[in-house]
Amino acid sequence: MRGALAGLRVLDLTGQQGALAGKLLADLGADVVLVEPPGGGPLRAIPPFWQGLPDPERSLFFWFYSTSKRGITLDVARPPGAALLRRLAADADVLLESEPPGRLAALGCGPESLRALNPRFVIASITPFGQRGPYRDWRASDTVAQAMGGMLFVNGHRDGPPLRALGLQAYHQAGIFAAVGVLGALFARDRTGRGQDVDVSLQAAVAGALEHVTGLWHQAGTVAARQGTLHWTRYFRVGRCRDGWVMHCTVGDWTSLVEWVKADGVAADLGDSAWEDVRHRATGAEHLFDVLDAWAARYTVAELVEGAQLRRIPYAAVRPPEGLLRDPHLAERGFFVPIEHPELGMTVPYPGPPFRLTDTPSRIWRRPPRLAEHNDEVYGEVGLTPAELATLREQGIV
Amino acid sequence: MRPLDGIRVLDFTWVVAGPVATRILADLGADVIKVERRGAADFGDRRGGLSGTLMRGKRSVVLDLNRPRGLDLARRLVAVSDVVVDNFSARVMSNLGLDYEELRRLKPDVVCVRMTGFGLTGPDRDHVSYGPTLQALAGYTLLMAEPDGPPAGFGYSYSDLAGGNLGALAVLAALWQRSRTGRGQLVDLSQLEAVASLVGPTLLARGLDGGTSTPTGNASQERPGAPHGVYPCAGAERWLAITVFSDEDWGRFVHALGDPEWTRAARFATRAARLEHAVELDRLVAAWSRHQVAEEAMVLLQGAGVAAGVVANAEDLCGRDPQLAARGHFVEVPTPEGRTVRIDGPPFLLSETPARVGGPGPLLGEHTDEVLAELLGSSEDELRALREEGVLG
Repeated sequence: MRGALAGLRVLDLTGQQGALAGKLLADLGADVVLVEPPGGGPLRAIPPFWQGLPDPERSLFFWFYSTSKRGITLDVARPPGAALLRRLAADADVLLESEPPGRLAALGCGPESLRALNPRFVIASITPFGQRGPYRDWRASDTVAQAMGGMLFVNGHRDGPPLRALGLQAYHQAGIFAAVGVLGALFARDRTGRGQDVDVSLQAAVAGALEHVTGLWHQAGTVAARQGTLHWTRYFRVGRCRDGWVMHCTVGDWTSLVEWVKADGVAADLGDSAWEDVRHRATGAEHLFDVLDAWAARYTVAELVEGAQLRRIPYAAVRPPEGLLRDPHLAERGFFVPIEHPELGMTVPYPGPPFRLTDTPSRIWRRPPRLAEHNDEVYGEVGLTPAELATLREQGIV
Repeated sequence: MRPLDGIRVLDFTWVVAGPVATRILADLGADVIKVERRGAADFGDRRGGLSGTLMRGKRSVVLDLNRPRGLDLARRLVAVSDVVVDNFSARVMSNLGLDYEELRRLKPDVVCVRMTGFGLTGPDRDHVSYGPTLQALAGYTLLMAEPDGPPAGFGYSYSDLAGGNLGALAVLAALWQRSRTGRGQLVDLSQLEAVASLVGPTLLARGLDGGTSTPTGNASQERPGAPHGVYPCAGAERWLAITVFSDEDWGRFVHALGDPEWTRAARFATRAARLEHAVELDRLVAAWSRHQVAEEAMVLLQGAGVAAGVVANAEDLCGRDPQLAARGHFVEVPTPEGRTVRIDGPPFLLSETPARVGGPGPLLGEHTDEVLAELLGSSEDELRALREEGVLG
């Protein structure tokens, strides 16, 4: 079985800012060739490392973002390397890159040069602030992009600092939008015969992953504030059970929830008919959740969630990410996929794809590439002779 | 021209995750037809703001799917659509008789995307969920906290945005496959799995080491480095994110601050040393930042080559940020009533066939007559009769 994007060739020159884009496309079946500098790309130096041993082949960070990709090395900063990149580009559909704006053009590998060789070429750039505008040369990390994109300000307790997300969500959203933009460009290419540029900004990608912040400003000039675990809609808040935390929810089957709390004898005023109005439950959220917290304290998380789901009330455990690894539902769906790393004599449980195309599934087609693993294969495919490759290797280009 | 011109999406989605997926398809040029019912909750003004940002460029049709004739109209719309999307719990579309097998009978090459909370299989498939409960299950709520602090998590339903943006990608991938083979397919998108897939390397690490994750506040999750975090600035609720990784970054940071005495201490001289003394370093950086205007400090540090940025609130983001403004990220859209509303635009730019906001959010049922006449050939008499029967809401 082949993936949905089988037949597409993608060159992936990105660092961590754009690495998810290539993974998404590769797991969907595209032939994604990761192009690393001869000493290895930046992801290989990022911890954690398998068994704590820093080594380019042991970075779990690199592994996560590099599934299903083939790997080659190439020093694009030197003219013969740039020439070779142009040769690769002539034979590919898509380039993913996250160099500072203008750097590839300075190396003779800008959009005009590459599209002169391959008019159908799609070039997606993932940079902190995009290819134009006053901040285009500014720098950003994931946290800075989360901050400037508006994600960070609304997370955290009222009396504490704003908190960044779990996971590199600025990079992740940029990766998703890059993949979306690439497919959009490929659909357009089917009509026009021409490639185009996809300009992804980390900051804008974060702004594209907000919910209430922009909309409430547009419609009412409201500046959304941090309010701890109380969701902006005021229908959700974290509460404490006997053995951990639970997410309360006051939308869903309200009548069943109140019946349950009443039966336990601690409903206080929740039986008042005013609470049947969902808007009243938002207005009085603090009091409502205080009553529910006092009630929840008598239960374990598992008891409360099971009882709630039986009544079609959307409660859930507030648990660490490793809870996913022990979740029987995900186990039955096979969310974690064991992939062999034969060189290390181990099997790695990779988190599965974000969605399942039932006919042409997204899946992990191969373990992440070892450094330069596919040099002979990929350079052979674009017509380099073993002698040419040997010369480039001697020059330190590959 | 836009990339998805000619593609029709029949959109049964509601609340946030589903509409996020289909708004991207609308930005890319698809004809997105929202099938709605009267009385469903929404977020106020449907033209702009939050609702308009979710429903930009879509058409709205009101059908009562609980009446046979309403359902029949929906089925006839399926037959002329390329994509059908919903984000109900697993059983809802089946109960309506609109599961994939049935849709495929109506439109053999249909792409059917089911954006449920837990997926179409597995013991929890009928569990009910919202974004906040899913991101709690995936670990975000507990781990987004200060070290040893109680859970804080996202102030909003990030899970809906994760599932929605990935949902758009799923549709595009399935449409690409269809464009090559002529075959449609069913996409089973579990929003729990979508948001879980974005936890990242931490989840891989826990699968291998069996360890316990603990919150790390604003410490780096990429290259280790210090100072790395969010620092208070002058004024109420003004904050600056500063991220220093390498020794070169540190040198630039120190220089930007004017080489103050405290930065010369040996315990801050190397990256490893700074990480070891990160708590003290954070305190010293905060003592500096507290007297700075956030925007000025950002410009100072960026001018020196340090990754730093204001922790933007809604006004910073929508009202003041020159970069997003230069990209045209927020757009003003005229409404048929002669108003102008503000809406977020697509966050990625295509150079030749740009994605763009095709129009404001639709009023409820604004396009019912237009769509039924255009796509199903319904006459004015038929539409009048349907309306009298209550089929059109």
